[in-house]
Amino acid sequence: MATPQDTPFPPSPPAESRREFLAGRAATAVAGALAVASLGGCGPASPPAQEGSAARRWGMVIDLRRCVACKACVASCKSENKTPPGVAYNVFIEEEQGTFPYVRRVAFTRPCMQCAKSSCAQVCPTGATYHRADGIVAVDYEKCIGCRYCIAACPYGARSFDYGHDYIEKAGNPYNEIPSSEYGASYGLRHKGGSPEGNVRKCTFCLHLQDEKGEYREPPACVRTCMGKAIHFGDLKDPEGVCVAHGEKMQALLAHRGNYRLKEELGNEPAVYYLPV
Amino acid sequence: MSATTRRGFLAKSVLGGGAAFGLSSLLGARSSEAFAAEVDRRYDIKSGDWIPSCCNMCGGQTGILCQVVDGRLVRIKPNDANPAGFSNISDDFFANCRTEGASMCPKGNAGIMTLYDPDRLARPVRRTNPKKGIGVDPGWTEISWEEAYSEIARRMKALLDAGTPEALLWWSEDHSFTHIQGDFCQLFGTPNYSNHSNLCDTARKASFKAVTGDERPLMDAIQSRYILLFGWNPLGATKWSLLPRILTRGQERGAKLVVVDPYFSATARKAQEWIPIRPSTDGAMALAMAHVIIRDGLYDKKFVEEWTHGFDRFSDYVKDKTPAWAEKISTVPAGTIERIAREFATTQPSLADVWSGPGQHSNAVHGGAAIACLNALTGSYDRPGTLHLPNKKGNAHGHLHADKPKAPRFADDNKLYPMFHGSGVYCEIFKKLAEGTGNYPAKMGMIVFQNPMMSVPGTETVAKALSNLEFLVVNDIFLSETAQFADIVVPGTLFLERYDWNTQWVTWPVLALRQPVVKPIFGQPAEYEFICELGRRLGLRDQDGKEFFRIGALSGRPVESLSAWYEEYLSSESKNGAPKMTLEEIKALPGATWVDKGGTKYEKYRKEMSTEDLAKATCVKTQVGGIEVEQLWDKPKDQGGKKIGTRIGGKAVKGFATPTGKVEFVLTCLTGKKDAEGKPCADLPVYEPRDWQPDAQYPLYLINWKEATHTHSRTQNNRWLLELQPGNPLQVNTKTGARLGLRDGDQAWVESKFGKMKVTVHLTEEIHPEVVGTQHGFGHWALGEEAKGRGSSDSGLRPTRADPIGGQAMHKQCCVRIYRA
Ligand code: SF4
Ligand code: SF4
Ligand code: SF4
Repeated sequence: MATPQDTPFPPSPPAESRREFLAGRAATAVAGALAVASLGGCGPASPPAQEGSAARRWGMVIDLRRCVACKACVASCKSENKTPPGVAYNVFIEEEQGTFPYVRRVAFTRPCMQCAKSSCAQVCPTGATYHRADGIVAVDYEKCIGCRYCIAACPYGARSFDYGHDYIEKAGNPYNEIPSSEYGASYGLRHKGGSPEGNVRKCTFCLHLQDEKGEYREPPACVRTCMGKAIHFGDLKDPEGVCVAHGEKMQALLAHRGNYRLKEELGNEPAVYYLPV
Repeated sequence: MSATTRRGFLAKSVLGGGAAFGLSSLLGARSSEAFAAEVDRRYDIKSGDWIPSCCNMCGGQTGILCQVVDGRLVRIKPNDANPAGFSNISDDFFANCRTEGASMCPKGNAGIMTLYDPDRLARPVRRTNPKKGIGVDPGWTEISWEEAYSEIARRMKALLDAGTPEALLWWSEDHSFTHIQGDFCQLFGTPNYSNHSNLCDTARKASFKAVTGDERPLMDAIQSRYILLFGWNPLGATKWSLLPRILTRGQERGAKLVVVDPYFSATARKAQEWIPIRPSTDGAMALAMAHVIIRDGLYDKKFVEEWTHGFDRFSDYVKDKTPAWAEKISTVPAGTIERIAREFATTQPSLADVWSGPGQHSNAVHGGAAIACLNALTGSYDRPGTLHLPNKKGNAHGHLHADKPKAPRFADDNKLYPMFHGSGVYCEIFKKLAEGTGNYPAKMGMIVFQNPMMSVPGTETVAKALSNLEFLVVNDIFLSETAQFADIVVPGTLFLERYDWNTQWVTWPVLALRQPVVKPIFGQPAEYEFICELGRRLGLRDQDGKEFFRIGALSGRPVESLSAWYEEYLSSESKNGAPKMTLEEIKALPGATWVDKGGTKYEKYRKEMSTEDLAKATCVKTQVGGIEVEQLWDKPKDQGGKKIGTRIGGKAVKGFATPTGKVEFVLTCLTGKKDAEGKPCADLPVYEPRDWQPDAQYPLYLINWKEATHTHSRTQNNRWLLELQPGNPLQVNTKTGARLGLRDGDQAWVESKFGKMKVTVHLTEEIHPEVVGTQHGFGHWALGEEAKGRGSSDSGLRPTRADPIGGQAMHKQCCVRIYRA
C-alpha cells in the first residue's frame, strides 16, 4: 500500500472506505442479479438440522493483514473438492483503489459464509439446501432440482451451478477416476446425468473432513494450505474454541482489530469474519 | 446454455425431488437418509499412502505430502517436516511449525492438473519435416524408445568418433538432476553444459558475491524491523512457500516493509510503503541513501571499521550522489530518499535486498552491489533480522575421476564475463550459435526441461540458433515451442514421478528428498534414467576405466536397473554430504527431510579458526585492493585448496568469502577487469545508466514480473492455474493510456526495435507512468491446447544479450511504443 510520504509507521488502520467496500460493492459485484430472490419463501420455515454436532458452530476468521492474495486457497479447494470448471466454492476478490502513487488493493478470499440466517435455504423449494446442526449449510444433491433460485438469492455469490463440464474430457484419464471427496465421496465419480451434475454447489467448510463426532480430523483445505496463515477455522460457540489449523483461540482473534462480516446489514449472520488490514 | 446443459437442467427439473436417476440409481438408491451413511472411504483424507516429497512446479522445492490411492494421485498438501513451507530461520521453524503447519502455493496445489494434463507427451516423437522454424509443422511421428535411444546414441557416438565431443551443447533446468548431467558432459568430453540460473538471478549473485563473497544471501524477514526490497517480489514470485509467512509475520512483529518497484507488485501491495521507480535506477537511489547515511553519520561505525574494505573510497564516491541527484535519475523524490535512508539506518535490525527487478539490465551488477553496500553500512549481514549468509550444506556431488574437457567452451562465456556463473551464459551461446561465431562448429543439442524459445530474450535469434544445430534432442513433458525445433523429442517426467535431492532455501542445512509418488504415467524413464541409459550405450568410463553409468556409486558393483543405479548415486550424495545418511535412511525420516539440529548460526564471519585448522592452514600473503591481506587456505592453491579464513585484526577468523575477508565497498574482484563487451569494469558500485533508454520513437520502458499463480513459461497449460490467472494483459498507467488514446480492454501492439507483440491493455493506477509491463510466461504458440494463444510473450522484443559482467539475460531491458491494433 502506498502511503502519503509523511505517514507514520506503523500505518494506521484502514480507512472507512475499505469497510464500505467489503460490506457493499465487491460482494454485490459477485452476487449477480438479486431479482429472483423474491421468488423465495417456499423453502422450509426452519431448515432441518440433519448432521453435525449441535455443540459446535464452525466459523472462519480471515486475517487480511496476513493474506497475500496468492490464491492458494482457491487452488487447494479445487484439489480437495475436485470441483469442475465453473464451480468455485471460494473465489478471490480484488479491486484496485486510489490514484498513482497512492494506490492499494482490496483483496480477500470468499468462501461460503455459512449464514445462520441464510438466503439460500429460504428460497430452496425442495429443502435440498439445509442447515446442519453445526451451522454448515449443505446441499442434498438428491433433493436439488437445479432450479438455481439459491444462486440468485445468495448475496455473497457463493453458489455455482454444475453444468457438467470437465477439466479433462479425455476418457480414461486418471484424473477422471478420482471422485470428489465432498460429502464423504457419496457421489462417486462424475458421470453424465448424475449428481452433482445439474446441481447447485457450494463450499461445505470441507465437512467431509469431520469425524463421526463432528470434529475436524484435518483443517479445511484452504485453511491448511494458506500461505499467509490468514484463515483461522474453529468453533465459534465454544468460548475456548481454537483454530483447528494453528491453535489460536477463535474468540481472542475476534476480540481485537474490529472484525466485520460481509454485508452485515442484510442480517444473514455469516460465520465468516474478517480482520481488517 | 448449451444443449447438454439444458438437457441436464431439464432432466433434473423434471425428475426433481429426491428421486434418484441415471447411473446413481443403478448404483443403489441414495436418498437423503442414505446420504450420510453411504460413504466411500477409499479416497478419504486418511486413506491410501501419504508420500513425502518436494514440489517442483517452480524451482522453489517446497515440501509436500502426496496422497496416492490405487496408484492415482489424489491430494497434495504441505509437508510440515520441511522448513521450505514455513520459515527460513531454525528457531522459528522448530518452535512453531508443529502448531501452525507449513504452507503451499497455488502452483503446488495444482500439481495434479499438470500430472494428468491430457496434452502431455506420452511417447518419443521424431520430426519428418526437415525444415525448421516458428510456425513450421515438424510433422511428428511416434517412435519407440528403442529407436529414440539408438538414434540419439548414434549421433553422440559420431561426435566421439570424430574427436569432437565439444560439438554437443547441453541446456537444463537448474534444480533438477543437474549433477548427473554435469557428470555425463564431463565424461563425454563436452565443456558445454549450461543451466537455467543465468535466465534468473546471476546478476544478483554477482552483486552479492562481489560485496560479501556469498552469492545467495537470504533475508531474515521474521526477525527484522525494516525490510527494504528493491525489485524483489517474494509474494508474487513465491517460489519457496515460506515467503508469505515470514514477511507478514515480520510485519506483525513490527517490521516496516518498503518496496521499491516500477510496478505495484504483489509484494508492494502488502508493503507499508510502495516507492515507484524508473526501471534500472535502483542503484542510484541506493547510492543516494548511502550518501545520506554517511553524511549524517548514521552508519554502524564499529562494523564498518572492523569488517569492511574500501569505505573511504566509497564515501568519496557518494559525496556528490545526493538525493536530488538520484531524484533526477530515478523519479523518487529526494525527500523520500532522505527519509527512507534515515529509517533504514536507524531502525535496526534492517535489511536491503534486491532481486530480478533491477537485476536484468545492463547495469545490474553494479546496481545490485550499491544495494548490497547499504547493508554493509548498517552491518546488516549474518545477524538476526538482516541478510543472512546461509550454511548451504546438503548433498555432496561426488568427485568424478575424469579430466575436464580439453576444448574451450563453445561461446567463451566463461572467459568473457568477469563474474561468470557456472550456469553459463545462454544469451552468448545462442547468439553465437545463430551467427555461427562460436569457437568451433556446434552440431548437436540436448535440451532438458527448458524452453529457451520462450525464456531467452530474442526469440528469432534462438530460433535461428536451434535451427543451426544438425541434430537437436528435447526432453520435456510437453511439445513446447523449443521442442518444435527438435529432431527427436522424448517425454520427460513431472516432479511427482521422479527423484532428486533438494537443499532448501533456508539459512541452515536441510536436505529433503523428492521421490516418485506415482510411477511415470506413460512408463517413460525419468530424465536421469534417460541420461544413464545413453551413458551406458556410449560406454562412458571414468579415468579408472570404470563404466560410470553402470557401477553403483556406493557398492562399486554393477547395477542393472537404471532407477536402482540412480538411487545409489543419490545415496552416495547424502551419505557423503552433511546428513551422512543413505537415501533409504532419509526416506524414513519424517517428511523425508533431514534437518540439521544445529540450526541457524549468526555472525559466522567472526568465528575464530580452530587451532588444528590453523596449524594445517597455508598462509598466503597477498596484495588486494592496495592492502596486504593474510589469507588462510586449507591447502596450497595449486593443490586445489580453498580459502578458509583471513587474519583480521591479528585474529585468524572465518571472515567473509571475499578476497579481503571483509565486506567490500571496493569490489576487488572487478579491479582491472574488462566486461564481456571490452569495457573496463568499475570497482566501485557506481551508477551508470543502462545502455538502452527510451527515446522519441520508443518512449516507454517495458518490464515483466511474476504472480503467485504461474511460474516461468511452464504452467500456462494447467487448467486450475488458468482459472486463477487466464492471461497477462499489459498494465498501462491510466494517464499514459489516455495520452496514447488507449482504452481498457483494447487490443494493442507493443513494439520495440527488435519485434512486436499483441496485447490486451489494462489501464491501471498501479504502474509508473513511464513504464508498461506484463506477467511473464504467457503467449505460447505450442506447449498445449490450453496454453496456445493465451496472452502475450515479450521475449521477441529484446535482443539476445546478457549483462556484460554476470551474464544474466536482460529480460527487463526494453523500450517500446504502443498503438491500437
Ligand atoms: S453465503 Fe450464500 S450460499 Fe452461503 S449460506 Fe449464505 S446465503 Fe447460503
Ligand atoms: S472450506 Fe473447503 S470447501 Fe470451503 S472454500 Fe475452503 S477448501 Fe473450499
Ligand atoms: S491462501 Fe491465504 S494468503 Fe493466499 S490468497 Fe488465500 S487467504 Fe490469502
